[in-house]
Amino acid sequence: MGKLRTEEFQVNMGPQHPSTHGVCRLLLTMDGEKVVDVVPHVGYLHRSIEKICENRTYAMCIPVLDRFEYVTAMSCNYVFALAAEKLAEMEVPERAEYLRVIMLELNRIASHLIFYGTTAMDVGALTPFLYGLRERELIVDLFEMTCGQRLTYNYIRVGGVSRDIPKEFVPKCREAVKIIGEKLSDYEGILNENPIWIARMKGIGLTDPQKAIAWGVSGPVLRAAGVKHDLRKDDPYSIYNKFDFDVAIRWNGDCYDRYLVRLDEIRQSLKIITQALDGLPEGDVRAKVKAKFKPPAGEVYVRIENSRGEMGVHLVSDGSTKPLRVKTRGGSFNQLQYLPEIVRGKGYLIADLVAIFATFDIILPEVDR
Amino acid sequence: MTRDELKAYIESNFVGRMTLLESGKVEPMYEIKADDLIEVATKLRDDLELKFDFLCNMGGVDTRERLEVIYNIASTSKLHRLDFKVILGYDSPAVESICPVWPGANWYEREMYELYGIDILNHNDLRPLLLPEDWDQGHPMRKDWDAPDFVRMPEL
Amino acid sequence: MPLVLMSLELIEIFRWAYGLLAELGLPPVWVMLISYGVIGVLMFGVLALLALFLVWWERKVAGHVQQRFGPMRNGWHGWYQTIADAIKLLQKEDVDIIARDKFVFFWAPVLCFVAAFLAYICIPFGKDLIVADLNIGILYIMAVTTFTVIALLMAGWGSNNKYALFGGMRSAAQAISYEVPMVASILTVIIYAGSLSMVDIVQSQNSFFGWFICRMPFGPIAFVTYIIAATAEANRAPFDIPEAEQELVAGFNIEYSGMKFAMFFLAEFINLFTVSAIAVTLFLGGWEGPWLPSWLWFLLKTLGIVFLLMMFRWTYPRLRVDQLMEFAWKFLVPVTFANLILAATMKYLGWYW
Repeated sequence: MGKLRTEEFQVNMGPQHPSTHGVCRLLLTMDGEKVVDVVPHVGYLHRSIEKICENRTYAMCIPVLDRFEYVTAMSCNYVFALAAEKLAEMEVPERAEYLRVIMLELNRIASHLIFYGTTAMDVGALTPFLYGLRERELIVDLFEMTCGQRLTYNYIRVGGVSRDIPKEFVPKCREAVKIIGEKLSDYEGILNENPIWIARMKGIGLTDPQKAIAWGVSGPVLRAAGVKHDLRKDDPYSIYNKFDFDVAIRWNGDCYDRYLVRLDEIRQSLKIITQALDGLPEGDVRAKVKAKFKPPAGEVYVRIENSRGEMGVHLVSDGSTKPLRVKTRGGSFNQLQYLPEIVRGKGYLIADLVAIFATFDIILPEVDR
Repeated sequence: MTRDELKAYIESNFVGRMTLLESGKVEPMYEIKADDLIEVATKLRDDLELKFDFLCNMGGVDTRERLEVIYNIASTSKLHRLDFKVILGYDSPAVESICPVWPGANWYEREMYELYGIDILNHNDLRPLLLPEDWDQGHPMRKDWDAPDFVRMPEL
Repeated sequence: MPLVLMSLELIEIFRWAYGLLAELGLPPVWVMLISYGVIGVLMFGVLALLALFLVWWERKVAGHVQQRFGPMRNGWHGWYQTIADAIKLLQKEDVDIIARDKFVFFWAPVLCFVAAFLAYICIPFGKDLIVADLNIGILYIMAVTTFTVIALLMAGWGSNNKYALFGGMRSAAQAISYEVPMVASILTVIIYAGSLSMVDIVQSQNSFFGWFICRMPFGPIAFVTYIIAATAEANRAPFDIPEAEQELVAGFNIEYSGMKFAMFFLAEFINLFTVSAIAVTLFLGGWEGPWLPSWLWFLLKTLGIVFLLMMFRWTYPRLRVDQLMEFAWKFLVPVTFANLILAATMKYLGWYW
């Protein structure tokens, strides 16, 4: 009997596929169930946000950039505001800085809760998704109370924040922090020790720290590989150096560690929020900004730690009311770029690829812009 | 290294190869000659005092007078950061690929190639990234780019 | 009161109806044909309703596990939601793709649906309430439920879609692997019952301690291995890799729409009820139980097992395809065979009650 003839074939995973988190097309070369190679094709969500920003005033850029990474829209608001403030060398009132930190951390938790839910769903457990979104609802309600929006906030502006928080925000926020802190053990209870979960996640999608750095991977993915790199500590912005928190870190760099790192980060964020609420000073929430905001000509790159890694803006101003160039950088872009490196030739199955894609926490608007 | 130490170190070690530009008033911004790019970048990465192992961001800029390629690099171990750029003219702009130095530049260069029309030399894969594969309407991020449904906002 | 309840045996209604039919003076062949025809239509109706109920129940269970309500709008707790869904599916356009294998594509859902029903010929719903008490009952059930695999493979092949083919191949591999431990656990029961007939098996476990699940130590092991293998046979999470939504979008039924899809969908829930009914018959004493009529006992026990399988689905992540095979061949098969040998030895030595 001759040898059975087998051949590799190609499968289009996406653009519409339940586990590509948006519209990403992964062109898989497969040998049976094994993934031999993966080529990501992006751009299905390209809205040319950078070009639109060049054609808008600074204040108008912020709601556009909300759509850059809508899962953590506060960070997008903040990173642009930070860049503009740095160019104009503007001082921001202290209360505004506290509010920004509270919002950024709440948004980070909301994003990680979505990660928790969608990852569990991609691995086949449908229930945690609802658990994650239930607690996210508390946070989204807080945002709605503050700025009237639940997803794209347009809250953090150049020079401060758009408005002060209502009176009931602080007690509500403390309550939400308490509830989320308690529910975290539920989250861990349903998945962490589950043998199927461990079998699916442990040892899958190993990232090499040196290679990951070279490929520009940042955030929880890098920290799960044992690199203690958190811009809140390493390159402190806003008032993060006032707070006491640890950088969540794990050592193996597999899917399981990436999942645990994010759960740990929720804890640290809760810690920061509690401290910020305790120390919240009275005062203005916005510096005086002229209606025609014109930063002096110059350029600056700022970067912050987003829930998906380093988020940055390279802002070039020519001294007019509109930015000359807004180059945005998001964590997902580099992580998706790095994805083929860790999948190619490792003999992962299609189910592993789904788990890796989920734990990289890639969202496509950030890649396509 | 703090910012001033870094400035001093670069001034003494990269004489004539990295020139401080005036646009970098807030954060220092250097210029590197296009044909010297790979060498300087490699040196920035491998220098034991600098160890710039992380490419944060790179992209094209059209200032209406010239094209620029900006690079924002950082070090994950030394915790400092540096910006530099390569200045190009409008006629047949081209820059060497820095993928050998920082492999993460790959997609940024593809993006730059299609959006700005800056040619990337020695890049192995210049398929369109964000634009459709059959895109034939020029380079949309150029300031002089025009399309029928693209309306510029009036100056305020 | 218990006496009144016990007298509510459904079989009496059938006997009475059969008596009426016999008195009409038709030739015996006609009597047989009519009675079987009526029973067939009745079974079809009951099972279709049951499948609809299970869909609704699954959604309610899922809802409550996930801290929400599930369907609530249509009727009391959304009771006619699935009926409305079924009607909607009937009306949907049957999208006919061009590049399919026409014959295979068309017959796959039909075969799947029919195979799911065939098993009910010899499942005892209550005392004497069985369509035909075949003396090879359990063997027959094992044989006909295997048709489902062929149907899924046909669907996967006929769709001419790579994801569907993945689903079909996965389901074939899975069914073949899990058939082995499933049959081995069933054999444990057959050794003690001494018969393949479903009625005999139920009658051999006539008290609570006579139930096979209570026979120490092999009974519970056989029950657990059977439940695991049955979950895999019914293609349910955590073993639902043939239709793994996040990997294969919808697996074998990706190209099906409208009524054809509904047939797959309903067959899946009927299979769920089948494996639970077999578990009840083999391990939990079938219709046996005090006070209540036998068919109600059977129904309650079966729905209990169905509920267990539903809870599995909504709390566990999905296994990967290779881990699934590994689990079947490296864990379940040795365990069930060891258990079988243990049971046989104890039977030979007479160490049982």
